[in-house]
Amino acid sequence: MRRGLKLLLESQPEFAVVGEASDGRQAVERAEATHPDVAVLDIAMPNLSGIEAAQRIVAASPRTSIVVLSMHSDEGYVLRALKAGAKGYLLKDSVEGDLIEAIKSVFQGKTFFSPEISRMLVEDYVREIRSRGVEDSYELLTPREREILQLLAEGKSNKEIAGLLNLSLYTVETHRRNLQDKLNLHSFPELVLYAVRKRVIS
Amino acid sequence: MARPSNLSDRTDPVWRNSDRLLLDSRLALAVGFGSLLLIMALAGADALRVLRDFRTNDDRIRRQFLFQNRVLNEIKSEVYLSGTYVRDYLLEPEAERAETYRASLEQLRKQMDAALQSYRRQLAPEGAQHYTALQGELAQYWQILGPIFEWDSAERRRLGYAFLRDEVFPRRQNMLAIADRIADINEQQLSAGNSQVVGLLLKFQSRLVISLVAALALGLGMAALSIRRILKLEIQVHSRYQEAAEARSELKDLSARLVQAQESERRALSRELHDEVGQSLSAVLIELRNLSSGMAKKSDEHFREHVETIKGLVEGTIRVVRSMALLLRPSMLDDLGLVPALKWQAREVSKRTSMDVSVAAELVSDNLPDPYKTCIFRVVQEALHNCSDHANASSVHIRVQQEPKRLTLSIQDDGRGFDSRQVKGLGLLGIQERVERLDGKCTIRSAPGSGTILSIELPFSEPLHDNDGHSNQEPRETNSHPVS
Repeated sequence: MRRGLKLLLESQPEFAVVGEASDGRQAVERAEATHPDVAVLDIAMPNLSGIEAAQRIVAASPRTSIVVLSMHSDEGYVLRALKAGAKGYLLKDSVEGDLIEAIKSVFQGKTFFSPEISRMLVEDYVREIRSRGVEDSYELLTPREREILQLLAEGKSNKEIAGLLNLSLYTVETHRRNLQDKLNLHSFPELVLYAVRKRVIS
Repeated sequence: MARPSNLSDRTDPVWRNSDRLLLDSRLALAVGFGSLLLIMALAGADALRVLRDFRTNDDRIRRQFLFQNRVLNEIKSEVYLSGTYVRDYLLEPEAERAETYRASLEQLRKQMDAALQSYRRQLAPEGAQHYTALQGELAQYWQILGPIFEWDSAERRRLGYAFLRDEVFPRRQNMLAIADRIADINEQQLSAGNSQVVGLLLKFQSRLVISLVAALALGLGMAALSIRRILKLEIQVHSRYQEAAEARSELKDLSARLVQAQESERRALSRELHDEVGQSLSAVLIELRNLSSGMAKKSDEHFREHVETIKGLVEGTIRVVRSMALLLRPSMLDDLGLVPALKWQAREVSKRTSMDVSVAAELVSDNLPDPYKTCIFRVVQEALHNCSDHANASSVHIRVQQEPKRLTLSIQDDGRGFDSRQVKGLGLLGIQERVERLDGKCTIRSAPGSGTILSIELPFSEPLHDNDGHSNQEPRETNSHPVS
């Protein structure tokens, strides 16, 4: 599989493959040595899992964005990967079609999920809303908060958002706190997943 | 409200009861046989004491009789002797010789006084009167004898014979008669003493009879009691044996059902492998053959069509294999920990059925030891299976909590419920087995029409090892709001 992906990436003129690894530990070593822009990690690697490797790479090389490849479409894995610091989550089934786009997205600081993951998250969310009969918390958000939610989910920092929207950093922080309280989301990965569910981002 | 039924409570009251019963019968036997032995020992001691009394009494009576007899005889012979001395004294012409007779008489008097004195000490009240009479006679006797020692030989010769005949002999007869009477009394005393001893023996006999009867009665009572106890125990043993036999046959039945369940699971897996995976792979093979045989002739369009079909088949197969693998052992349990696996399971069940399943987890560590997370996961799986297949529930709430010394799980549904005292399906037994293997407790509260709450409690304290310097509090996930 690695060979296939390498061929795929090298076919893109703007990409260069700077290192390869056959297990998690090696992957961390390579990333520490080369500080790549993007690391593509299989979630199920020998010696050190992709999740653990992602955590260590983020710690050792903060400039590196991480795309995780997985055969699991379950939200538990997606959330865990995001918590470990991954920005992209691709299903192995559809990796050839989406990898290039995913790498470009995470390089720009955006998050990226396989379309199937997005679809599944949205479906689960809709089903839950329907079966519980609960109020859609998204309705509680003000237009400004929705805007900020989208920008946050796209990977923008508070400071960048303040610049984009012409607001003070303090105002952005207040909005962010309010919207997290309203949605009952306590971490950035949860916020990202929520945004995907609500199709605020894809 | 449903009645709680604790399925795993092993401190069966019957066992405690039987322990108490055993203790009771031991106590009863000890007391019974103890008092029996005590009665026998007391009776024996009594018999010994009575025998000893008997012997000493007999001895005493005999000795007293002999002594009194001897003294009396002595007195009697001395009375005779004194008569002789008096006669000799009166008839003796020589003054010097007469004087020796007089001294002998004095001597004799002293001896008689001493004998009387010692006799007085052994005196029985009945003989007192005769004794005083005898003493009086003796005193008079000596008094009468008094003047003759003043006589000279002429007077003695002249008055002596008459004195002997008129004074001394009648007195002597008198005294001897009294002595005989005293001897009679002595005889009487002897026989009275004998009859006293006989009375003692009779009393002892009746006492012996009473204690023998008591011992016999107590022995009979003890025997009856022991027999009753033994019979009771026998009945208990029998019923216990019956229970054990029933339990064994239940177990046999259960293992047969388990084997059957395993077999049907294998059958389902095999069918799925054969029908789904096998069929798809066969179809892929066929498509590939078509492709290779027609490669030269067919157009690009045809080529693409075949490839698309193969792709679809392979994707489908991958899905089937993956879902089968997840069914066997969900990878989340190992990769992500208990709570994400439970949430996945809840989502899957919600998708598949019309039930709404929610999971609330509090402070549950991500790296629980495998037996614990497997146990909880399988219990939840089984319970969800029951909820959807039997209980017809529309919502299920799962709650897991880790406390310092235990893990608790509760699964509450709003389904039909059942009588938890009567119904025990294989699933519930399986749950119980898993929980008991970890020394846990499993409680089911349910009643027809009021839903079911399954609670389990596993004793567990997190090991305090610290491999890489991290606090083991850190990997815990705090998530108290329901997520499905």
